[in-house]
Amino acid sequence: MNEIMGIIIATIICWVNFVLIDTWMGLPENPGVKGAEVIGRAVKKRGGSLAGGFFQGNIVCSPDASAGTLLASVGCYAIGIPEGGLIAATLVYFGNRLCADPGYAGTTGALSITVIIYLTSLVGMKPEFFIVGMVLAILTIQGLAHPSASRLLGKLAEKMGRHTKMT
Amino acid sequence: MIIHVNVLSYLLALGLAVILGLALRLPLLPERPMRYSWTISVIFPTAILALGFYAMLDKLGYQGLMVGASVGIITALFCKFLLEKLVPRPGDS
Repeated sequence: MNEIMGIIIATIICWVNFVLIDTWMGLPENPGVKGAEVIGRAVKKRGGSLAGGFFQGNIVCSPDASAGTLLASVGCYAIGIPEGGLIAATLVYFGNRLCADPGYAGTTGALSITVIIYLTSLVGMKPEFFIVGMVLAILTIQGLAHPSASRLLGKLAEKMGRHTKMT
Repeated sequence: MIIHVNVLSYLLALGLAVILGLALRLPLLPERPMRYSWTISVIFPTAILALGFYAMLDKLGYQGLMVGASVGIITALFCKFLLEKLVPRPGDS
């Protein structure tokens, strides 16, 4: 498969994978740790959504589906499919627990992307596409414009019934 | 259909971890809402850790049904008796 095309497809897949899993697992509902709350409130102060801000803060403060997606992609690239993804899921779980997080989002993200990498490898997609894709996907959430990204995440959280009740 | 012995080893690690986990009275699933539950259960994380631990040993060169069975048993014991002490829930540490 053409490399550029593969990276674009992988970026879309990674974005959908981690944003949906993180929202489903309740990242926008409340901040897991104090740091996530500080980030969420700072994003809101700059015109963003509080729920989206909590989402962004929680991603920074513990390995969630974004980290799971990236580490499983790296694992599949470096170790193999599916062993690398399974090892990544295990390590992400311990990382989660060390960061005061029960670990559902990170582990689910790592396992789901491992299945996706295996299935898409049948049509010529390579794990390295997903590494680059995940870096680009996280850039759209954390690296371009926090308030705009948080508003999008907030709307998605509302649609999925995971919007924060905090004010 | 030929099933690769490595797949059987993964299944054995998974199956034994689940069966022994249930025998050790770990709950099958965490209580609801699961996303906020810190309860160690059979499906999460015991089953996932069993697959992960076997994958680690597999890549270190230790393969086979005996390794799979050992990983399943040790993972269930690890989750029941050691995991909460090693990585405690917040407030317990």
